[in-house]
Amino acid sequence: MTVRVDPENNEPRALFDLADFNGRRVLEIGCGDGRLTWLYADKAAHVTAIDPVEGSITQAKENLPDDLKSRVEFRHIGFDDFAAASDSSTFDIAILSWSL
Amino acid sequence: MVHALEEIRRLIKPDGFLIDVHPISTPLIKVVHGNDVLFTESDTGYDSHEGFTDNALEQVVLRGLFVIEGEAEFEMIIYASSVAEMRDFWAKYGAYDNEPEDEAIVALKDAVYAKADEIMQNARGAEITYHERARITRLNPDASG
Repeated sequence: MTVRVDPENNEPRALFDLADFNGRRVLEIGCGDGRLTWLYADKAAHVTAIDPVEGSITQAKENLPDDLKSRVEFRHIGFDDFAAASDSSTFDIAILSWSL
Repeated sequence: MVHALEEIRRLIKPDGFLIDVHPISTPLIKVVHGNDVLFTESDTGYDSHEGFTDNALEQVVLRGLFVIEGEAEFEMIIYASSVAEMRDFWAKYGAYDNEPEDEAIVALKDAVYAKADEIMQNARGAEITYHERARITRLNPDASG
């Protein structure tokens, strides 16, 4: 038997009640292994998902389905460094995923 | 935390928004068998930074950087058929964490899981569950801020 995470779908239900991801450019901060990313990535126009922990990003990249490779970008970088190198008004949605 | 929120506000478009998800209480470890709860204990080693995130969000709202557009609470539950399975699951996350756990906390956690394991040995078909309560908030940039 495998571990089941949120089989009641409480997290996606709460997320989609508050946010419409269709066609949006999304920044996910603290994406970990991509557990939350997979919930909305197929709806978004583009996802930049960052995490300072290399092992998590490696795992996320390994789990990235082929059909999402063109619009999901996982990056091993801390938020401060990412923000310093990023232009203003780039994203429609930012997600702080259990990471603030 | 407040600085990070200021930077996020800069990165999102004026009509964009921020979604924050964060834990709001110490998680519970339970052993359940059907509808019966056989064991409940707090995850004593868990650092939820309780209050810090709420304070940071409150500050950026008070400063007029964001307005809260919506908010909800929910419970994340993780199920495993054995203590070993649950610990393996969390060990995977711990392996990615650069900060070593405090020895005293590790000992407390070991004791909780040992007790849960003992109960499960005598309750065939029981599951161990991990309950984490969280708040999700949508914050829109305050046009006047």
